[in-house]
Amino acid sequence: MSQPSAFSLQPSSLDDVAVLGAGNWGTTVAVLVAAAGRRVTLWTHSAAQRDEINDHRRNRRYTGETELPQTLRATCDLREAVEPAHLVVPVIPSKAFREVAAKLGEVVRPDHMLVHGTKGLEPGTHLRMSEILRQETCVRQLGVLSGPNLAGEILQGQPAGTVIASRFPRVVAEGQKALSSVRLRVFANEDVTGVEYAGAFKNVVAIAAGMASAMGMGENARAMLVTRGISEIARLGVALGAQPLTFFGMAGFGDLVATCSSPESRNHRVGAALARGDTLETAQQKLGMVAEGVNTARVAYELLRARGIESPLLEAVYRVVHEGLTPQQALQELMSRKPGVDIQPALRLTAVEG
Amino acid sequence: MVNERQSASETVGRVFERVLAQAGAGGRPVEEVVNETLYRERERLKKAHGERAEADRAFYAKVRHELPRVPESGRNRLLHDIVERYATEIQGRFDPRVYAVATRVIPVALSGLMTGLSPKRVLGDPGLLLSLDDRLVIEGETDALRRLEGAGTAVLVPTHCSNLDSVLMGHSVFRMGLPPVVYGAGLNLFSNPLIGFFMRNLGAYTVDRLKTDPLYRETLKEYATVALEAGQHSLFFPGGTRSRSGGVERRLKKGLLGTALSAYRNNLRRRRPDARIFVFPCTLTYPLVLEAETLVSDYLAEAGKSRFIIVDDEFSRVRRWLDFLRGLVELDLRIHLRIGRPLDPFGNEVDADGRSLDPRGRPVDPARYLLADGEIVDDPVRDGEYTQALAGRIVESFSRENVAVPTSVVAFVAFELLRRAHPGADLYRLLRTVGPETSLSLADVELEVERVQARLRKLDSEGRIRANGSVSGDDAPGLVRRALRTFATYHPEPVLERRGVRLHTNDAQLLFFYRNRLEGYGLMDAPDLLAHRRDA
Repeated sequence: MSQPSAFSLQPSSLDDVAVLGAGNWGTTVAVLVAAAGRRVTLWTHSAAQRDEINDHRRNRRYTGETELPQTLRATCDLREAVEPAHLVVPVIPSKAFREVAAKLGEVVRPDHMLVHGTKGLEPGTHLRMSEILRQETCVRQLGVLSGPNLAGEILQGQPAGTVIASRFPRVVAEGQKALSSVRLRVFANEDVTGVEYAGAFKNVVAIAAGMASAMGMGENARAMLVTRGISEIARLGVALGAQPLTFFGMAGFGDLVATCSSPESRNHRVGAALARGDTLETAQQKLGMVAEGVNTARVAYELLRARGIESPLLEAVYRVVHEGLTPQQALQELMSRKPGVDIQPALRLTAVEG
Repeated sequence: MVNERQSASETVGRVFERVLAQAGAGGRPVEEVVNETLYRERERLKKAHGERAEADRAFYAKVRHELPRVPESGRNRLLHDIVERYATEIQGRFDPRVYAVATRVIPVALSGLMTGLSPKRVLGDPGLLLSLDDRLVIEGETDALRRLEGAGTAVLVPTHCSNLDSVLMGHSVFRMGLPPVVYGAGLNLFSNPLIGFFMRNLGAYTVDRLKTDPLYRETLKEYATVALEAGQHSLFFPGGTRSRSGGVERRLKKGLLGTALSAYRNNLRRRRPDARIFVFPCTLTYPLVLEAETLVSDYLAEAGKSRFIIVDDEFSRVRRWLDFLRGLVELDLRIHLRIGRPLDPFGNEVDADGRSLDPRGRPVDPARYLLADGEIVDDPVRDGEYTQALAGRIVESFSRENVAVPTSVVAFVAFELLRRAHPGADLYRLLRTVGPETSLSLADVELEVERVQARLRKLDSEGRIRANGSVSGDDAPGLVRRALRTFATYHPEPVLERRGVRLHTNDAQLLFFYRNRLEGYGLMDAPDLLAHRRDA
């Protein structure tokens, strides 16, 4: 009945970090970790991508001609990436997240820390990524990385801020150590649920912002969109167990301001393409990357329906993206609704009690 | 069996050193800790009577007098004295010789309890008590428990709705051939000298829930931790107190539960070979609950939360005991103890070989949950999260291992039909409205009981509840008859009573109490009436 003793095994290297997923954001996170002075292994399932990174210091499809640091190594062997690391950062699209989490479950140990950077929810189950990690692995020390982080700007070395949420202070501290540099300030939060929902739902609002831009709307319209957007996603998030004020932090308000203002945002681009008359398929093809908001629009809609919550903006985005309503019709409907209260009473109450 | 005095002195040493260390590291100064004790104990003693209270008053008067007059070493001594006083009160006085006698004949121990109260009654009806042993059915992971108790330390965490629970658990442990367990029992249970005598010698230590001093709570937790580290199998009621609603516990107290993790961590640090702690969730299901009336009225009272300890309930009245036992014996009723699947202190399931398993059934080394940079470290926030996870798994186990009994099934159906007949009424108004003149059609009840039985059989096959015996086997009219007979034996008024083709409710509160056991399974699409209450 004896178990391998915890003392006989080598402790994880204090410096090693594994980033799983070599897409646009995953690669950027790996660059940030390297910039913070850590050895980082970037896991990808594509051998061609691995070789390009290791031999040419480039990941052209996702990060163009940006030169990747020498302390960043790519591998296709999950065990090789994870075993020496103490901190593992999965940055995998929500649709593939469980598949990778299941493989990860074979190689992680209880002393690993997992901080994911995926702003999405699982289709069908509506689960948050930390819930999937909990189901598929033995790891308890979980966290989430989220915030206004447009990869292009960060790779250019421009300053940015982000948030790591975890119930475990050490996870936040280690995440901060691994990512903080002169380029990035990493804030702390305990509300994992809230940060995950905020990061996911804001993408739906970002699609609306893209539509508004393409339709030539001005700053007044954008301000209304951001403000009503925050109100709606906070209301849904709170109904699902989030802390209301989280939506006014980095992962909510912060991220929404960035994605709603910037044409670089993927979800913004998808929304803009739809408003110009592209089909969803064409819009996604042109993007060449995953826009999580497309999937999240459906998940949010299903969650709203199941709870009987009214949420005009989120519903409108769902109907444009998945039911063929034109953005013009959606706008017309939104503007002709009877306006509700500025601040949801439920939100006000929870914020006070919260 | 460990020596209680050693446990107590180890406890005192640890708590004392910890307070000093925290004070030294910029935490609360010793003087402040002692002052809080003085304040909390004075508040408690305002309402306390008796010899013990007098002694406490004298002791604290002395501490209060000395505290401002002594140098630092003197303050430390006062702290030590207080912790020692707490630990001395907490410590059990286990005597293996008494245990050997007491457990072998728990029915006689029970008779002992009552002999102390009324010898003639018991002696006049000895068969009553001897057959109690047959009433208790022990099921579930008994093999795992027997197997794992030798490989580490077992912690039994049962549901709790009667003071009878600790006696039955003590007896069950003996019947399964296990070494004795220690458990914390409310100070009020010791007030009867004879009950107190048996409690102590069955392994009980005392818990005074009226003591709100954080230093007392810390001493109590440390005592429980020290006992676990010494390999002492233990019993905690993780709900903290008897379920007032009659429902299966949904929220657990993390304090005592967390001692499993603390003991495991301390054992690992000392590299003890049998460091493992195995947590066994248990469910105790009664067809009738001895203290049902007091518990449910306490649940419904506005002041429910302040009345945390009930002293004058059915448990202390011999007449009620006898009615209760007679009911059990004459109607051939069964009390079910189910042992759930074992868990480690982190909430992982444990297999037959004692290995912790991850959610996908792969073995994991639980010691690694405590590592930071390769070292086992203290981290109260982290460990609190782990204990929270353990609590969640225990609650799930309670729900799965809950046994549906005829009284609960029929109470659930009758209550839901009454609720539907009064649309818009909140719980309190409903309970006020329903009286003996309110009745239900027997045929309607039987029809719904049949549907609920079918649903329970399905839930049982999915492993979500236990619904065997008469609940799955009897036809609906038979099940209703069985429940009515049971309800008629013990409570002053039958909870439900048949008059012709109608069923009359004599006690809506008790109907509510018994229905609550089946809350949370989605039966009859009924709303969750306990959801808004934290103490459900």
